[in-house]
Amino acid sequence: MHARNYWGKTLTTIILTIGGILVALPFIWMILSSFKDEKEVLSIPPTLIPKHPTFHHYIELFQNLNFGTYFTNTLIIVVFSMFGLLLNTMAGYGFGKFHFKAKEFWFIIVLMTMMIPGQVSMIPTYLILNKMALTNTMAGIVLPGLVAAFNIFLIRQFMETIPDDLIEAARLDGAGEFYIFFRLIIPLSKPILAVQIILTFIGAWNSFLWPLIVANDESLYTLSVGLSLLQDENVTNYGLQMAGAAFMVIPILIIFIIFQKYIVEGFNFTGIK
Amino acid sequence: MTQAWLSSKKGFLSFHYFINGVLILKNKKARFIAVFLIIAALALSACSSGSSDSKSDDKTIKVWTMSPALKDFAKKYTKESGVKVEVQSIPWDSAHDKLLTAVASGKGPDVLQIGNTWVSEFAEAGTFLDLSKYIDDYDNLNPDNFYDSAIETTKYDGKTIGIPWYVDTRALFYRTDILADVGYPKGPETWDDMIDASKKLAARGKDQYAIDLPATDPQFPFMLAWEFGWNYDIDKGVDNFKEQSFKDAIALHHLFYKEGYSQTGKGKEFFQSFSDGSKPMFISGPWDIKTINDRAPEIKGKWDVRLMPKQENNKSMMGGAHLAVFHNSKKVDQALDFINWMADPETQVDWYKTNSELPANKKAWDDPVLADDPKISTFGEQLESTQALPLIPEYERMGQDLIDTLEQINRGGVDIDSALKDYQSKEEKVLKD
Amino acid sequence: MYKLKSKATPLFFIGPAVLLLVIFSVVPILISIGISFTDMNLIGLANWAQIKFVGIENYIDLFTDKVFIKSIGNTLFYVIIGVPLAVISSFVIALLLNQINKWLSATFRIIYYMPSITNIVAIAVVWGFLYNQDYGLFNYILSVFHIDGVAWLENPHIAKLSLILMAVWKSNGVSMLIFLAALQSIPRSQYEAADIDGASRWQKLIYITIPAMSFATFFVTVTTLIGWLQFFEEPFVMTEGGPLDSTNSMALFIYQEGFQFNEFGYGAAASVVLFAVIILATILQFKLRKSE
Repeated sequence: MHARNYWGKTLTTIILTIGGILVALPFIWMILSSFKDEKEVLSIPPTLIPKHPTFHHYIELFQNLNFGTYFTNTLIIVVFSMFGLLLNTMAGYGFGKFHFKAKEFWFIIVLMTMMIPGQVSMIPTYLILNKMALTNTMAGIVLPGLVAAFNIFLIRQFMETIPDDLIEAARLDGAGEFYIFFRLIIPLSKPILAVQIILTFIGAWNSFLWPLIVANDESLYTLSVGLSLLQDENVTNYGLQMAGAAFMVIPILIIFIIFQKYIVEGFNFTGIK
Repeated sequence: MTQAWLSSKKGFLSFHYFINGVLILKNKKARFIAVFLIIAALALSACSSGSSDSKSDDKTIKVWTMSPALKDFAKKYTKESGVKVEVQSIPWDSAHDKLLTAVASGKGPDVLQIGNTWVSEFAEAGTFLDLSKYIDDYDNLNPDNFYDSAIETTKYDGKTIGIPWYVDTRALFYRTDILADVGYPKGPETWDDMIDASKKLAARGKDQYAIDLPATDPQFPFMLAWEFGWNYDIDKGVDNFKEQSFKDAIALHHLFYKEGYSQTGKGKEFFQSFSDGSKPMFISGPWDIKTINDRAPEIKGKWDVRLMPKQENNKSMMGGAHLAVFHNSKKVDQALDFINWMADPETQVDWYKTNSELPANKKAWDDPVLADDPKISTFGEQLESTQALPLIPEYERMGQDLIDTLEQINRGGVDIDSALKDYQSKEEKVLKD
Repeated sequence: MYKLKSKATPLFFIGPAVLLLVIFSVVPILISIGISFTDMNLIGLANWAQIKFVGIENYIDLFTDKVFIKSIGNTLFYVIIGVPLAVISSFVIALLLNQINKWLSATFRIIYYMPSITNIVAIAVVWGFLYNQDYGLFNYILSVFHIDGVAWLENPHIAKLSLILMAVWKSNGVSMLIFLAALQSIPRSQYEAADIDGASRWQKLIYITIPAMSFATFFVTVTTLIGWLQFFEEPFVMTEGGPLDSTNSMALFIYQEGFQFNEFGYGAAASVVLFAVIILATILQFKLRKSE
């Protein structure tokens, strides 16, 4: 039994390693290419390791990017997106664990919002923001993306695994609804919340379209917008673009490394034997 | 198994009893949430009042541009005039979206940059102020200062919607050494020469081609047609595409793929195949002088730029961008004063030095910086023989459909006559709508 | 504030989110549906008085538009091949990641998530090279085995499959995370009980893991299906819908009509068709799940 297990694990590891190399290659190429000169970046066949490593692109990046403002704006959007995540979680819990009138109807409405391509609703959304006098404001940038049907749906699905009588028991003991939500539901949802935090962070960190459309002032631009400003009209500067992408991905990796362990937390205590 | 399920639930329940133990906190918790919600709401509303559009004193104008370098550049103007220029840079890829929302809401800047192929679609929607009655008041805005075809692209429906800012065009890049081997040391003068040279170049062996044609560039087939003497006449509509000269241009285009002078698939990057000689010619704009210098330094001195090959003429396209005034700007005088400054020959040379974009003002070309650079002055010469793309809002679709049609001919094996017939009926519908 | 009446409670939980969704998603969708019955273009956008109601003309035009019909066919092809591939592959990766030790698993989780956070331009460049007919890696490997090169992106039939492969590669990360999280919701004790009964690994997979994961599988399938029906980015960056419209998708068609050519009415009509297809597909899935 143990021997079989050992070989199974080795085989799994080998398969995962081969797959992993294939999967990681473009990422690695992206990072390494940020240190290549323009000539090498697009050479065919491509090189993986830079022949003449250069920090040129990073220097250009930091010289030309109005880093302070863009970074602050990006962080503000990230903070609000986490507030949005709270709203999503609350809604997912509401749909998953309560019975109320027209629940199905409202849930279908929520799902419907995932189904239309974003570009189609861009102009109507902008006009609504304009009517609310929210153009050129942080609120106008944040609000349209605050709530996402994807997240609500995910939480709702996850709530199916939490037994109803658990919540009932807490109610019988006199716990309030908030209390149940924050003290019972949220800790139980840790793995799925970790996934949500990662996804929400990435979305907010990379936010591009609304900061650009809503802002009538560069002081509301984000890092993504700032980076895309460095691109030339006619000639794509791939090295610079890769340096920008590599720079943007660092915080994402950090967040991922921190939160991925909650996704599988506790697994090792009683893992499959 | 039910047993196991229950035991895990017991775990949940014990957790719940633990909660009961700290029930005393619950009011605090509720209060915390309430406070959190209020703070969030306040923060949002604070942000909304934080930055407003109300910086509308007479001493400030707002400019939208796709060239971020304008931001520092415009400080010189502020120094001279005392008017502050608030520059908002917009990435090229998203500029169209940004303009759409401005059109929809009527909230735009005072001055905006507009690529000259976008002029007609946005002009038709009334995005720009008609400048006709103002241009006489400013020295530098006189149409005679600029290239004729650039001026042509500032006109829509009898109105003047902008002033040329910078221009560009296409010319032929070629390898002097390789073209000399086939008898054209100065590059092919005419399209007949080009075909002859191409035949020899493609005969060099496998994977050897003559020229990298801009296959996805909708402007290129129009350029070919102009050179055959064709021109788009707005009054004739779809009949334009029934002319023999148009068909001749398409046939020439097809010849390069049929005979293997140009590669159908993607292949290498153009600067690589230019450098290794497998595609010793390509047609492109002035920016690629720098690209070749940077990315293919090993062929320094072995390449040059020349005018487009000639058929009946050697017309190339007129590209570039204009500066326009948004239709509801309240600061028209300040906006025009700024544009007047931008159109000044001296400023134009300065802008070329700053951002390598070619001056639209012809006088600027006398400056040694441009005149003494042989490759750049070739582009200057080519600019004298340029043509504006069809100035109709449907142009964008016409060009894209033409690219699709060419793909069907060159790749799908459809014969030219029937593909063109399809194209004509398609455009007939496009123009009618 | 704290003690809510039970009727108001769900309202409090879902209210804020639903309100925001209604304002910033539902209303714009309704507006778009309205636009689909008009001839709105850039002129209409600037001046609403110029917009004409055209009834269902846009819809009639759509179903006589060869490119649109082709893009529907392509989209169905993407969905039928792509969705099962994407769901199964991410499920398998999640399962495999659960089999190995903690340290390795954490490393591989990052690696397998990487495609989701790789810049699209880098993806386009690297995959463009892999698929390059003359110099690409794939054809080089084939040539080693004396197999003729494949026209990965140039052949109208193969190009679709090439884009599917690329999209599956790119989309696995997020689904994998969801499956990993879902694996945590399976009570450990179930496996323990099964061990006592002497169940094999396969039996545990089939009788415990897969049924217990059904809520997550359902979620991933529904969202993957919606995502693939909106297939856009891969043809946009790799082929622009070519060659000969063979990789054009409905979402790309909508983008081109609406935003390249400013035909907002026509583009909106196309998106309503796509919208209807997605709703039908989703309702079908919900019905199937209920009947299970």
